[in-house]
Amino acid sequence: MTNVADATPVSGQVQPPARTSIRGLIGQTEIDLRLFGMLVALAAILLVFHVLSGGKLIQPANMVTMSVQASGIAIIATGMVLVIVSRNIDLSVGSLVGFIAMSYALLMTDWFPRVFGLAPATPFEWVLAVAIGVAIGAAFGGLQGFLIAYVGIPSFIVTLGGLLSIRGLVWYLSQGAAVSGIDPTFVLIGGSAQGSVGGELTWALAAVGCIAIVGLLVSGRRQRRRFGFPVRPMWAEVLLSVIGCLAVLGIAAFANANYWPKGLTDRYALEHGITQPPGGLHISTGLPFPILLLICVTLVMTWLSTRRRFGRYVYAYGGNPDAAELAGINTRWTILKTYVLMGILCAIAAAIAAARLNGSTLDIGTNYELYVIAAAVVGGTSFAGGIGSIPGAVVGAFVMASLNYGLSFIGVNSPGQNVVNGIVLILAVGFDTINRRRGS
Amino acid sequence: MDIRKVASLLGATAILVAACGGGTATTAPAASVPAASVPAASAPAGSVAATDCTVGVSWNNFQQPRWAAHDQPNIKSTVEAGGGKYIDKDANLSNEQQLTDVDTLISQGAKVLILLAQDNKAILPALQKAKDAGIPVIAYDRLIEDPSILYITFDNVLVGKAEAAAVLAKVPEGNYVLIKGDPGDPNAATFLPQGWDEAGLKTAVDGGKIKILNGPDGTFTDAWKTEKAQQNMEAIIDKAVADGNKIDAILAENDSTALGVVAALTAKNYGFPPLSGQDGDPANLNNVALGKQYVDVFKNANELGKAAGAAALALCANPDMASLTLPDGLMDPTVAPSAGLAAKAFTTPNGTSVQSFILQPTPLTAENLQTAIDAKQITKEDLCKGVDAATAPAACK
Repeated sequence: MTNVADATPVSGQVQPPARTSIRGLIGQTEIDLRLFGMLVALAAILLVFHVLSGGKLIQPANMVTMSVQASGIAIIATGMVLVIVSRNIDLSVGSLVGFIAMSYALLMTDWFPRVFGLAPATPFEWVLAVAIGVAIGAAFGGLQGFLIAYVGIPSFIVTLGGLLSIRGLVWYLSQGAAVSGIDPTFVLIGGSAQGSVGGELTWALAAVGCIAIVGLLVSGRRQRRRFGFPVRPMWAEVLLSVIGCLAVLGIAAFANANYWPKGLTDRYALEHGITQPPGGLHISTGLPFPILLLICVTLVMTWLSTRRRFGRYVYAYGGNPDAAELAGINTRWTILKTYVLMGILCAIAAAIAAARLNGSTLDIGTNYELYVIAAAVVGGTSFAGGIGSIPGAVVGAFVMASLNYGLSFIGVNSPGQNVVNGIVLILAVGFDTINRRRGS
Repeated sequence: MDIRKVASLLGATAILVAACGGGTATTAPAASVPAASVPAASAPAGSVAATDCTVGVSWNNFQQPRWAAHDQPNIKSTVEAGGGKYIDKDANLSNEQQLTDVDTLISQGAKVLILLAQDNKAILPALQKAKDAGIPVIAYDRLIEDPSILYITFDNVLVGKAEAAAVLAKVPEGNYVLIKGDPGDPNAATFLPQGWDEAGLKTAVDGGKIKILNGPDGTFTDAWKTEKAQQNMEAIIDKAVADGNKIDAILAENDSTALGVVAALTAKNYGFPPLSGQDGDPANLNNVALGKQYVDVFKNANELGKAAGAAALALCANPDMASLTLPDGLMDPTVAPSAGLAAKAFTTPNGTSVQSFILQPTPLTAENLQTAIDAKQITKEDLCKGVDAATAPAACK
């Protein structure tokens, strides 16, 4: 099993350090240099656009928009990492997102009222809708996973078939029409000013995050001691705690510096009989729900992939399928589960997309597969299998989103955006390949 | 709607008949089949020949709801009301099937063919067969490059013109945002912007009255995707806010992009500056009723069907396309060709001259949404979903 753990990358910040020595982690702080390098690259991209836009890009409102735009892709990318690590691919994610988004829209506008006799905007109908969406995602994922793992059809073919046929099914669901006007509570998942947790809760969450980072570092150190593994020097532990806490609190402060738009504040003040102070009322939006969802998904997926047997199996299979099989791992069941997980993540991303649009169109999710694979690969996932990190894929998604958003912001049109996206994808993987070669 | 229109033509007697829903034996047919009475009355030659006029229609894809809901019933009722016989076949997206279908329609005795071509090149052998049999062909909604056909469609440049004219009338000066469709689609890159400029956008920009916030060319939307339009619009709003600019109006080329724009405006709580679109998609018509989209330019397929039905009947009587006229009062006058009811020469992109009826699109705003309900484009329930009774447009009251 040491080989397995060997290939498991771990980020140095949000989660506890692994018990064994880890490839790719250099130095006593054990900070993931790859991930760190990507964060630097992301910052550099944003800075370039900041300068190009005349110093207007890096503002709380803009960064929140960009993050919300990245969230759907990032959520699916966390699952794509596991799929690619286990030497498979999933091309059907975009179509599945489209199918589930259309299901959400139709459930809440048509099927619930007509078939179940629910009144429009029944409380908690959105919970039922999301549950059904997750079930649909798991079912499609399970079916594809079964065909790949048990029947043995190559994943490229099965999911290519899924890409085509599921997109076709979207048409049959809606008969080609766009659907709009869904449950007002569901719409909050999309994360507008109202779809955010607000200033106080953002601070509270940041405090919890900060405590968790310190707690995990402390317990990790204790565990290492107990099993006789080498520990980081004390200065490194303190440095990591401080950097981690500063990052979390900094993000919270930044999100809280994003205020409700003036029109909304005025309406709110009027409705609640608040006299606005001179200079206007400032209500912090805090973290929008899609970002919160993304953080939760990233934590859970990282935990699954590094702390659970399932994750170990995925990396073991990706590193060496034959060895994993011989070691007694139920590889088929493991592969099937990665696809079920993908389906569930698609359902979450579809909820964000449908909520953002307050409905669904036929084209929701088109080309997601390309952006998701790009995010995973830019984030350091290797097509050779066995290598890939979930926080890396999330940063990869942010890199792609920052390019799109930055280019839109400075007024570069879509053909130009596509050119830049393509070049960055090749450059990112190129640098990585060269680095790995030099490292080995 | 139909009843009212015809009633106004036929005079007080018909109004009475229509209002009572019955009447004497002589006037009742006029009221119950309104579209029919007009071609029969104003084109007596047509009505005589129509006794054995079989009109064959070959659809490329009847699965698409539009054809079954709007085009087919109007062609059928117009033909049958004029004393003709209606037959049709669906090729289900297959070029080969369409060739077989045309053969079948000819052997079933079609005297006139209406073709919605799956592919305007692959259809040419079928067209040749029709020509050999001396059967006139109407190219319905989709051009076939051949001088012998009659082309019936909507004017696509006029769509852009109608979009911009409506928004410009509302906001003659200020900051505009232009949201265009797929950069590879000539409609997005050429025809619709041409219509915008014809409506006066270019003059206003050159004269300094209008400033375009997102560059001189606006922003293209890959594959006309709603999600992409939404993301682009969010960046444009952020940029405008950062620059201290106010967005006064938005020209979106079609409804799928307009839907994305509305989603972005909602997410940003920006309010809803006048916004254009086209297609008459139910979700967008609902937005017009809600005051979130100002104008939706609509191509009324019912009227296109009526025009084709009437033209087919007329061609039965007299196959000379150059002297063809459509009966007066058949179509909604706002939709009828601006060039008049006589067939006009139209030069195709390949330089072929064909006879044509080019219909005008209808700009729908909160004032005339009733048109969409009358055209069965949308039900009143769907149109008025979520509309506040106090500020509701007339169509929702």
